[in-house]
Amino acid sequence: MLNRKLKRRQISGSYFVALETCQLLMRVISAARWNNTNQLIEQIRQLGKTLINAQPREFTCGNIIRRVLAIIRDEVYETTENENMTPMISSMFSLLSTNVEKKEPIAPPVPTNPRIHHNKNHDLRSIIIQGIRDLIDEISNIDDGIEAMSVDLIHDNEILLTPTPDSKTVLKFLLKARQKRKFTVLVTECFPNRTSIAHSFAKELSDAKIDTVVIPDSHVFAVMSRVGKVIVGARSVFANGGTVSSAGVAAVAECAKEHKTPVFSVAGLYKLSPTYPFDVENLIEVGNSGKVINFSESNLVQHADITNPLFDYIPPEHIDIYITNMYVFIHPFPVVFWAKFY
Amino acid sequence: MSEEAQPIRAPEDATTAQTQPQSQSQSQPEQTQPQSQPKAQNSNKSKPQSKDASSKTQDTSASGEKKLTNKELKELKKKEKLEKRAAKKESQGIPNQTEQSKAKQQKNQQQQGNQSNGNVGVKKEPKIVNKVPLFSHLETKEERNALSSSQAQVLHYVHPAILTLTSKYASYSIVGSIPRCIAMLKAFQTVISEYQTPEGTTLTRNLTSYLGYQIDYLKTARLLSVTMGNAIRWLKQEISLISIDTSDNDAKEDLIEKIDTFLKEKIELSDKLIIEQASNHIVNGSKILTFGNSNVLKELFLHNSKVLKKQFQVIIVDSRPLFEGKKLAKELTSNGLKVQYALINSITSIFQDVDTVFLGAHAMLSNGFLYSRVGAALIAMTAKKRNIPVLVCCESIKFSDRVQLDSVTLNELGDNEDLVDCYKLNHTKKSSVAMKNFINSYNETEEKQSQQQQQKSKKNQSNDKEKETTNEKDEFPLQNYQKSPHLNILNIMYDATPPDYIQKVITEVGALPPSSVPVILREYKAS
Repeated sequence: MLNRKLKRRQISGSYFVALETCQLLMRVISAARWNNTNQLIEQIRQLGKTLINAQPREFTCGNIIRRVLAIIRDEVYETTENENMTPMISSMFSLLSTNVEKKEPIAPPVPTNPRIHHNKNHDLRSIIIQGIRDLIDEISNIDDGIEAMSVDLIHDNEILLTPTPDSKTVLKFLLKARQKRKFTVLVTECFPNRTSIAHSFAKELSDAKIDTVVIPDSHVFAVMSRVGKVIVGARSVFANGGTVSSAGVAAVAECAKEHKTPVFSVAGLYKLSPTYPFDVENLIEVGNSGKVINFSESNLVQHADITNPLFDYIPPEHIDIYITNMYVFIHPFPVVFWAKFY
Repeated sequence: MSEEAQPIRAPEDATTAQTQPQSQSQSQPEQTQPQSQPKAQNSNKSKPQSKDASSKTQDTSASGEKKLTNKELKELKKKEKLEKRAAKKESQGIPNQTEQSKAKQQKNQQQQGNQSNGNVGVKKEPKIVNKVPLFSHLETKEERNALSSSQAQVLHYVHPAILTLTSKYASYSIVGSIPRCIAMLKAFQTVISEYQTPEGTTLTRNLTSYLGYQIDYLKTARLLSVTMGNAIRWLKQEISLISIDTSDNDAKEDLIEKIDTFLKEKIELSDKLIIEQASNHIVNGSKILTFGNSNVLKELFLHNSKVLKKQFQVIIVDSRPLFEGKKLAKELTSNGLKVQYALINSITSIFQDVDTVFLGAHAMLSNGFLYSRVGAALIAMTAKKRNIPVLVCCESIKFSDRVQLDSVTLNELGDNEDLVDCYKLNHTKKSSVAMKNFINSYNETEEKQSQQQQQKSKKNQSNDKEKETTNEKDEFPLQNYQKSPHLNILNIMYDATPPDYIQKVITEVGALPPSSVPVILREYKAS
């Protein structure tokens, strides 16, 4: 089901994808049967693969699966450690060695006392599901942690610019900051893909008594010299610190760099992916060109190439700091901070 | 101020007021003037009565009179502005011709309160609301028009050719500094040919001031472009050089001919030279990126593909709200060129293997900055970062002795309404401000009538209507942006590109780095 929804882009936006993936995993784990934990891990990995193939550019899906796998491995590691006091599977990288060792501690109890084993499975199941529940909690409350930093980063009467009006995190961040500070927000339109979202975003901000100015995407350079900070809502962040976000953001970030304006990227922990972006062009999804030119203008449609990329890859050197719900970090080694979650 | 004040006081006042409606009916539906004129007269009459003491001083001394007229004029303008704002406010209340809701009624009441108060405090408030704080020094389209209506007594001097031209400028059907300049000079030709020197003056003395009125009126549509400014300066100089002995007809013919040669020399021939120079940068198989629509560049691409038979690809980057690049794309595709069309927020992904970036210019400032359609700076910056050469093609008539360091200090504000619609892919030509005001005032009267009807009719109906209006609001989130004190739209026309992003400027006097613009300017002035 989720697979199909992802393929059809019925779910989009990393937040919803993350939640859906969690729920799917809960269902799978509660229904799954396994004899040993390796089977379970294998099952989930398979599931992960199909999901990732369904929408290779929705990285949160893979991230969630990786985190659930990490939870399972952690659990297995702890329980087996308690029983045998021998170090077991700690990560994917030591899979080979674990397979060899595994037969000895787990295989013998099966014939002797199946009931105990069953109990253990049951325990594991509930522990894992609890783990996923915690994860869901974390995802749905992700903005709280980020919001808390807003006061440290915005001063009074500052002019901020955000090129990602579709980001919920940015919205909450700004709304929170408004409680303590008075500032102006410039919102780019993100024409043609997210203009209406941008406009309602601006409306929402202005309703919260934040001075909001909507600017077309072309005005970025003209106003950048007056902007204090640029806030980017990330779609996903890679291990090298590179970020995928809405189209146009890369130009904004570049422009900000040129003007020495600080850029910060806000992202929930679930958006941080441990993979590396080797093929940048492949990350960018291309959208409906009918949004760029009406199909009624047949002459142009026939003879011209029309491009409408949906996303942009922002190289890590254009982003000064990353704000997540747990850490604030800088770009050279972001992966160090979040490797332990996977 | 005092110059303007005198004609109102003068005995011709009545005649100007009479002639005005006539000239309007001929040319343009300027609704505001007939409205404001009677008002002005009213206030002229009423003011001295209310301030008896001051009116006495006015009678006694001439200087006192001047001061008072100034005051009056200020007050008059204030009232006019107030009226306009009020009308505007009211118009935003109703999305279309739909009838009114209860909220509307409250608004009206408030407004009536405002009008009766008519004090300065009320006046200032909407001013802050409507403008982006950073850009509040720039004049909006409405303000420009408000100014024009205060100079209403000038209107009957304006030639019909100028009136049509002004409306064309205002609706952006003539855009780009060169086309605007050409259109203006052509219009001036007809103005000059139909010009009659009034008795008692000579052509050399009167024609400049007469043209001045035309230019003032042109300014109400959009600010003068640098090319237009340069051309006007040249034309005025030419007029002043005519000796008094030449007959009017000879002088007029002479001027018209001079305008023709000016157009030919400064635009047509220089374009040819520029194209010749710039063609060296287009080779077979090259990929060229351009932004918006520039006349020279269009000619350059067509020349290279048709005459020089080169095979190359043009990437046209476009932006909201004018979509000028679309025009260029249409022109090029219909001539068989390979075109890629994209919007400005996709630049980083389309910049791969671009060979050269060609940009048009609105003006070259004397500190080497390129002043061009907003967005050009972003393109130039991304190109520079990728080590792609940025070439600017521009005629030397576009050189300006102005100095500007950023895009904020001096700019032209576009129409904010253009950005309210989030799906529009074409820039639609809109009615002028005067026409809008007319429609608004018409709507107002309709509403008042419907209000009275509504009050009589049942409440159910009004509820339905309220629903209707809310539905319409949902369509575009920014539809009523002026109502919200914290919401603003910024739409500027130009931005300034720093000289470090520009590799060279190709002009008819040769290709040069942007830093040598002042050198050319100096020589141009000396000659």
